[in-house]
Amino acid sequence: MLSTLRLAWRNVGRNPRRTGIVIAAVAVGIAGTLISMAIFYGMMFQMVDNAIRTDLGHLQIHPPGYDEDPAIGLLLPAGGQTEIRAITQDPVTAGYAPRIRGEGLVTSPTASVGIRVIGIDPVLERDVSDVADSMVEGDYLARPRTAVLGRGLVRRLGVEVGDKIVLSVQDLNGDMTGEALRVGGIFQSPLAALDRSTLFLAQKEADHLFGLGGGISEIVVVAHSRDQAGGLQERLSSALAGREIRRWDELQPLLASILSVMDQMAWGLYVTIFIAMAFGIANVLLMAIFERIREIGILLAVGLSRSRLVAMVVAESLFVTFLGLIIGFGLAGLFLFLLSDGIDLSAWAEGMNAYGMGTRIVPVLGLEDFTIPTGVALLTALLASAWPAIRAARLRPAEAVRHD
Amino acid sequence: MTEKPAILEASQLGKVYETRGIETCALANIDLCIGEGEFTALAGPSGSGKTTLLNLMGALDAPTQGEVRLDGERLADLGPAALSRLRLHKLGFVFQAYNLIPVFSAAENIEFVMELQGIPGAERRSRALELLEQVELGGLGDKRPLEMSGGQQQRVAVARALASRPRIILADEPTANLDSKTAIRLLDLMLDLNQSQTTTFLFSSHDPLVLERARRRVWLRDGGIDRIEEGATA
Repeated sequence: MLSTLRLAWRNVGRNPRRTGIVIAAVAVGIAGTLISMAIFYGMMFQMVDNAIRTDLGHLQIHPPGYDEDPAIGLLLPAGGQTEIRAITQDPVTAGYAPRIRGEGLVTSPTASVGIRVIGIDPVLERDVSDVADSMVEGDYLARPRTAVLGRGLVRRLGVEVGDKIVLSVQDLNGDMTGEALRVGGIFQSPLAALDRSTLFLAQKEADHLFGLGGGISEIVVVAHSRDQAGGLQERLSSALAGREIRRWDELQPLLASILSVMDQMAWGLYVTIFIAMAFGIANVLLMAIFERIREIGILLAVGLSRSRLVAMVVAESLFVTFLGLIIGFGLAGLFLFLLSDGIDLSAWAEGMNAYGMGTRIVPVLGLEDFTIPTGVALLTALLASAWPAIRAARLRPAEAVRHD
Repeated sequence: MTEKPAILEASQLGKVYETRGIETCALANIDLCIGEGEFTALAGPSGSGKTTLLNLMGALDAPTQGEVRLDGERLADLGPAALSRLRLHKLGFVFQAYNLIPVFSAAENIEFVMELQGIPGAERRSRALELLEQVELGGLGDKRPLEMSGGQQQRVAVARALASRPRIILADEPTANLDSKTAIRLLDLMLDLNQSQTTTFLFSSHDPLVLERARRRVWLRDGGIDRIEEGATA
């Protein structure tokens, strides 16, 4: 078999220009696919990670019934101490933060805007959210009776750091209540929706404002990686029976479906590229076989079996494809290395933020992004060589040896 | 008919080609026996059926009538894989031109057949070099066919045909593309192999240089045997 493979390998080098064109086509196809997918995945993962790192966390723990109606009266009692004990005992927990979540109306001298009010522990919140790192002005709830607002909300209200605003909410008893606060800081996150309609204030002040008596709306939990969320959810669900424990993709099914669509798009792209590639390979192999009919006749005459002849043609196809794959991977690797600091899309910042993305996209490729195209490409090469191989195997030696 | 032990036997052999519904009889009712150690030529004008007969006797094509036996075994009973094995182990071929695999060196061309036979690498290499010496091409083992003359290529083809230690070597117009001096060298080499190693040769040729060296000439005309001449004329 070795000599058949050696023959196949040498046949690959027989017409360098033609082989080079096929290898280049495979390489460019693979590299283009990988680079496109890396950029798309980079954008999508960033969108997901931004949502996780600004709002969702990997898991959220709520009192029973919260999914159905997230009313201010549904609370985890005693600041969620029972839940926090279970969370901190789990080895994959990287951070947690209690939150109070309600709705309100914020008023400035020039405007009133309906908003989400989130009461947070500024220290613990840093472990689950990047909002503290997104501050563009002022400080992050460092002083009492201050609030942190998104850039979009500040614009809508026409206020700046130090200005007074009035926050009105409906408390636990259903009574309207309000509090005068100062704008303590302004953040600008990759989530335009968060920036436009969210106000953060200290958990204690939110508790006082809503009259919750130490209860909290939710605990946000972050694991060391996104892949650990499922296992953590299972363990916490059994430890904290009755609580609603939801993963990020259950809280925001749209994000999960975007990733799923991306996977399907990747397959679609692979299949399209590889179908085009298959025709190229089959065409080149057929040409190579038509040029070598006499030689194939000689091979059959000296005793090469038809199965080995088929193996030789298939091996030629696999060699060409494999070379194309290696070069394609190299090109993609080089491109991604050069873009490892990310692609600056700040010129489209507004549009990117509207979709929950930052202005610097770092392309992302996993191991499976290399293994899947390798498998699909080699399978394509195998299928593409079937027709030429069968044509070769059907040659009659007596006619082939006399072919001009 | 020969009295030597028979290697190849054709009985009532015929071949009809069909192209777009039109039948052409290339060969009919051939009875021929090739004995061990023979140096026989199938002779005749173009279109007389020499190559067709050689192809049928070399298991490169299937007859439409009659049968061929190699060492008593009916070729018609064998499937494609068994025919490949038979060509590999029992038959050697030398064709008119472009006999060799251009991407292999002379030695690799010879070794290729032995590797198909499953002969280990070291043995293959030494036997290939030995065969190259035998055909007076020692030292040219690493040359590719395109770096060799037509005569040298044909001698490598003879060496390759010998490599599998076949029962018979079938040579189709082996001198057709050679000048007479080179052709004589090649034929003398084959004759020497026939005499010194009792290698059996069956030629298809109308080259007088071949015919005068053949010890038996089977003259074909219009797809049938016209006459058989015994004894070398050279």
